[in-house]
Amino acid sequence: MNRSFFQQKRDRNETAARALLFMSALVCCLLVVLILGFMVVTGLPLFGQNQAMDLLTGAWSPHNGGYGIAPMIFGTLWISFLSVVISFPMSLGCAAYICVLGPHGKATVMKRCVQMMTGIPTIIYGFVGVFLLVPLIRNTAGTGSGMCILSASLVLAVLIAPTMILFFIQSFDRVPRSWLDAVDALGGSRVQKLVYVVLPACVKGIVTGTVLSFGRALGDTLVALMIAGNAIQKPDSLLDSARTLTAHIALVSAADFESMEFKSIFLCGAVLYLITALVILGARLIERRGTHE
Amino acid sequence: MNRWGEKAIYSLSVLSCVLLFGSVAILLGYLLVKGLPALNPGLIFGSTPMVDALFLKRQVFDGIFPAMAGTLALIALAITIAVPLGLLAGIYMAEYSGRFTRSVFGFFFDLLSGIPSIVVGLFGFSAILFFHHHISESLAPCLLVSALSLAFLVLPYIVKTTQIALETVPQQTRITGLALGATRLQNIVFCLIPESLSTILGGIILAVGRCAEDTAVIMLTGAVVSAGLPDSLFKGYEALPFYIYYISSQYADQTELTQGFGACIVLLLICATLFTLAAIIQKKVRHTLLYRH
Amino acid sequence: MTPPKIKIESLDFYYNTHQILSNINETIPENAITSIIGPSGAGKSTFLSLFNRLWETTPGARVEGRIQARFSDSFMDINDPKLSVIQLRRAVGMVFQMPNPLPMSIFNNVAFPLKLAGITEKETVQNRVTTAIKACGLWPEVKDRLDKKATTLSGGQQQRLCMARALVMEPEILLLDEPTSSLDPRSGAMIEELMVQLKPRCTLIMVSHQPDQVERIADQVIDFTPGSESCR
Repeated sequence: MNRSFFQQKRDRNETAARALLFMSALVCCLLVVLILGFMVVTGLPLFGQNQAMDLLTGAWSPHNGGYGIAPMIFGTLWISFLSVVISFPMSLGCAAYICVLGPHGKATVMKRCVQMMTGIPTIIYGFVGVFLLVPLIRNTAGTGSGMCILSASLVLAVLIAPTMILFFIQSFDRVPRSWLDAVDALGGSRVQKLVYVVLPACVKGIVTGTVLSFGRALGDTLVALMIAGNAIQKPDSLLDSARTLTAHIALVSAADFESMEFKSIFLCGAVLYLITALVILGARLIERRGTHE
Repeated sequence: MNRWGEKAIYSLSVLSCVLLFGSVAILLGYLLVKGLPALNPGLIFGSTPMVDALFLKRQVFDGIFPAMAGTLALIALAITIAVPLGLLAGIYMAEYSGRFTRSVFGFFFDLLSGIPSIVVGLFGFSAILFFHHHISESLAPCLLVSALSLAFLVLPYIVKTTQIALETVPQQTRITGLALGATRLQNIVFCLIPESLSTILGGIILAVGRCAEDTAVIMLTGAVVSAGLPDSLFKGYEALPFYIYYISSQYADQTELTQGFGACIVLLLICATLFTLAAIIQKKVRHTLLYRH
Repeated sequence: MTPPKIKIESLDFYYNTHQILSNINETIPENAITSIIGPSGAGKSTFLSLFNRLWETTPGARVEGRIQARFSDSFMDINDPKLSVIQLRRAVGMVFQMPNPLPMSIFNNVAFPLKLAGITEKETVQNRVTTAIKACGLWPEVKDRLDKKATTLSGGQQQRLCMARALVMEPEILLLDEPTSSLDPRSGAMIEELMVQLKPRCTLIMVSHQPDQVERIADQVIDFTPGSESCR
């Protein structure tokens, strides 16, 4: 082995691979930008005829030239908020049972089941909701069609629970083993272990998981579309019908391409996109704050 | 904390489990009771003989065979598009990205995985509309547009599983190839990828599951009620979830509704199979990272 | 003592701001076994990783000072940016504490470095792999199952396979990081014997925790115990 053996050679493969890999990643990222771009460009004509604020906060009255998407924004927020409110305690309880309170053997099986639940197609939740829950709510409430915010939120709560549970479990599992052993050694009960050690250590993880699950509820289309009734109105009670931004997009697309109604769906798309971005950004910030501490 | 407090917390946790598992059990049970009567060859092939349908000799008109074939074609196309791009981007993220690019690209991938699927569908829809107006009148929502949009939808899953799979290769394995004189590229191709193949494969199967169940994207980008077997990239096609959605709102009689429940069971079986397969192949499934709606 | 193969001059090693090695000056003789001893955490493995620059894979690691190795007639600085680290690692073999066969067949494991170096000619590969396996005394045990997975071998066999894999490139320097500590005494003895046999072809540098082993086979000892500067 002489000097030339050790000479630095330009490795064409390496350079080419690096370029190819970078381009792929870049293309994926540009896609994200492109999606927003299309929403904004296609939705732009709306701003020519209306004030921006009117579009976001005004009422929906196409006959009078009003294309405000405020009712849809309210519908989305109502339904996703309520579903998280219902789902949160249930998910926290389940995660606590699986990770801390329940017997170990049962926990493994339950965790597997929860994982399988994330694989149940959304359309199935919607389908069963329409034929099982909606009549139930209609009969119990005694008024309306049963297609309302409450029905949609209930189904959505069950739908997002498995994801939320898995987020919580992930954060519970990161609690150092030695802390749990310490509580055991001191004669603490499982409940005490949960309340005094696990939960305080996992506040950040629980918040992140809840925020991301909220994002998931926001983005759901099918459940709201099939169960919430789709009336364009500002909802006053849980038994009122409502339309979400996502459902609005799904419903209007069949209409005339040139109409303003049609163009309003791009505004909905852009608003959804921005809310999602905020949710993701928020979750990332919460996570980052922890790593500096 | 007194004994009653402990008892209460424990009971609430058990109650959460009962509520969630109970709801899902009722959901599945209801589905089975309603759908089982429809579960026979007639559901899939209608009145066409099974052999004739499978060998494409005769068209199926009153069964879900075309919808299943459409879903299959859709999955195959979308995965073929998404996997190469996602793999390359994932490799870049894990092995070549610097601190800055990793954090920026990482945010974009999080964002892409959080964008509601209906918005991705709207993007596909508006893109084809744009091409329809500016390039050729003949371009319209079709199988190819759906497949591309679905590919964008599952892209972040594949990027993320690839990235995580590579990043979690133990340091000891990572330096084995390097110590033997492997270049960075050789180490990735010959050592790191074989080592993490099962995790990556599991992620791809979960992505397949997402393609199978998604309804929001395809209802905007080309799924139609009646198209027969998919025979062109540039035509509309039938898909199983879209068929279920259609039945839920437009069913004409009890037979059709029962067929809808049957179709739900078929879709559920497909998704459950994929999930089980992924769980078997992939030892460290990270469902929580793959959340989306 | 044989002529020097490697000269280390005023060498410091940092991990971020933490100094691991400071002002090391050593000479490593050719065709001999140099043993590095000392307590855990004294930087023995780090020291070993200087010779094939494997420390570069650790983020935050930094080296100062000079390491020169003689591969043909003249010494060259192995940290020279113009020197190809890939080629360096092909000329400096390494065996780790835990046997680390790759998930492929026995034959392909040993042929792997040749593949990396772009040596694909079938007969050459066949010959060099056979020679390397024979040199490690593994041939009788594996000759009938070269296409089986390397993980089906016992721990001692795996470690000898890793030696064969390191030797197939005919390295002039062989680094061994506690090569026998995960093995049973009999397998350990075989590895030791093998190392002694390799002396005419190689310069061997070994980290060891076993004083009796050092006593048996080392020609020179570098002691990393704080406060000691002993050489034999």
